[in-house]
Amino acid sequence: MKIRTLGLQFRQGISGLWRNRIMSLVAVGSVTAVLLVLGLSLLTIININSITAYIESSVEIKAFLEEDLDTAQVETIGAKIEQMEGVREVEFETKETALEKYKEQLGDNSSLLEGLEGENNPFPSSYIVRVDDPNTIGAIADEIAVFEGVEEVQYGKDVVERLLNSTHLIRVVGTVLICILAFISIFIISNTIKLTVVARRREISIMKYIGATDGFIRLPFIIEGLLLGIIGAALASGLVAVVYNYFFVAMNSSFEGVFVMLSGYFAPFAETLYRTSFILLAVGIVIGVTGSAISLRKFLNV
Amino acid sequence: MISINNVSKIYPNGTVALNGINIEIHKGEFVFFVGSSGAGKSTLVKMLLKEENPTSGSISVDGVVINSLKRRQIPYYRRKLGVVFQDFRLLPDKTVAENIAFAMHVVEASRREIARQVPRVLSVVGLGDKANVFPGQLSGGEQQRVSLARAIVNNPSLLIADEPTGNLDPDTAWEIMKLLKEINQRGTTIIMATHARDIVNYMRQRVVTLERGRIVRDQERGGYGIED
Repeated sequence: MKIRTLGLQFRQGISGLWRNRIMSLVAVGSVTAVLLVLGLSLLTIININSITAYIESSVEIKAFLEEDLDTAQVETIGAKIEQMEGVREVEFETKETALEKYKEQLGDNSSLLEGLEGENNPFPSSYIVRVDDPNTIGAIADEIAVFEGVEEVQYGKDVVERLLNSTHLIRVVGTVLICILAFISIFIISNTIKLTVVARRREISIMKYIGATDGFIRLPFIIEGLLLGIIGAALASGLVAVVYNYFFVAMNSSFEGVFVMLSGYFAPFAETLYRTSFILLAVGIVIGVTGSAISLRKFLNV
Repeated sequence: MISINNVSKIYPNGTVALNGINIEIHKGEFVFFVGSSGAGKSTLVKMLLKEENPTSGSISVDGVVINSLKRRQIPYYRRKLGVVFQDFRLLPDKTVAENIAFAMHVVEASRREIARQVPRVLSVVGLGDKANVFPGQLSGGEQQRVSLARAIVNNPSLLIADEPTGNLDPDTAWEIMKLLKEINQRGTTIIMATHARDIVNYMRQRVVTLERGRIVRDQERGGYGIED
């Protein structure tokens, strides 16, 4: 197809939008609404992921060792854990360090622990194990628990499982929601395009007699759908930025304690918005083109 | 140029529209298809336009068997044809010149070619001064002349006219016939489906008469029907 023809087709697509401007407005509105929900869901998921990723990464296994192990035995256990699949990092914590840590936690009341140094230290030495994938933490902990010389294994089982369950739920619900919304929006676009097809029915039938190829006849409608998608995506991106900004500011200024702490783990503002807008644009284009393609398949067969 | 061999058309509801039709049309001929409604004229025209396919038999145009054309080949076949309909089929929101240029855009003609051809065909049909007028402002005869101009602008070798005078009063119809004759004399083969008795009788061209899906007469310099 020649460039000049492409230009004509593009103008034809725009005139299609203008011809049905009310319906185009409705379609753009629907795409905007859908992409707004999609964008906000994405941002929610991205941020929950970002927060849970932080919490997950801070979750560790503590393997307490039996008393009376000699240095060689301790090192063997450490080496065995290190060799396990999925283990990212292993750190040895001596009885002394454990006592110091506990003292720090007690702060002003640390004097309670006086006299427990050296021979009397009741804290066991331990290995602190961090894993690559939080989902495997339970299995790895169970394996370490049966190692010889390991007294007991602890990890934040409940916290991890609850978090994993909730992110899983949000991902599933989000995906389902987005699919449903995308479907609705494709439906609305295909109906909008259908209006243009109907309005131009006469023109199309004449074009066929004159010898226009299917591609030539379809292109303006594809362009029309594309434009609907792009305009919707642009509006949605703007709205998402406004909403996210408002939310970000509100989070940072009006909540205390845990929320302020968590907001520190939000995904970076500008970069996240940039990425989200890009996704919205891509989805908007896919929705627009799919909508017009469906419409053309249904209404453009002579 | 056109060879219709033993063509039959049976519609899914069982109606036999055409039954064993054989016609040979040579380059430069002017042929009328006549017959009452339901005789099979429109079916024949639709087949030549590749809107319908024969149930059996074959049609070839310019050496190409058009029954077996693939969907994507059809547009290129249609570019060899010019078509004129009873209801003109002009775009009301485009000017006369735009309506004609539109036919050239479709075949991706260059801007220069469009600028040259549009005034040329408009003067051929005698509407040189109406280029920037909208079809709604024209009389029926003028509209049909615009549609003729559009049909010939891409220099088709075959012009198919389906009841081109059906919506026109007799005087205007004659003007259109004069134009068709002129176009024919420039070398374009013309097939015209009609039931305008006077026109057919006056023109003294080849007449193929259809009746209930069969050819009942095929005469050089013929007239309309047995009553002549």
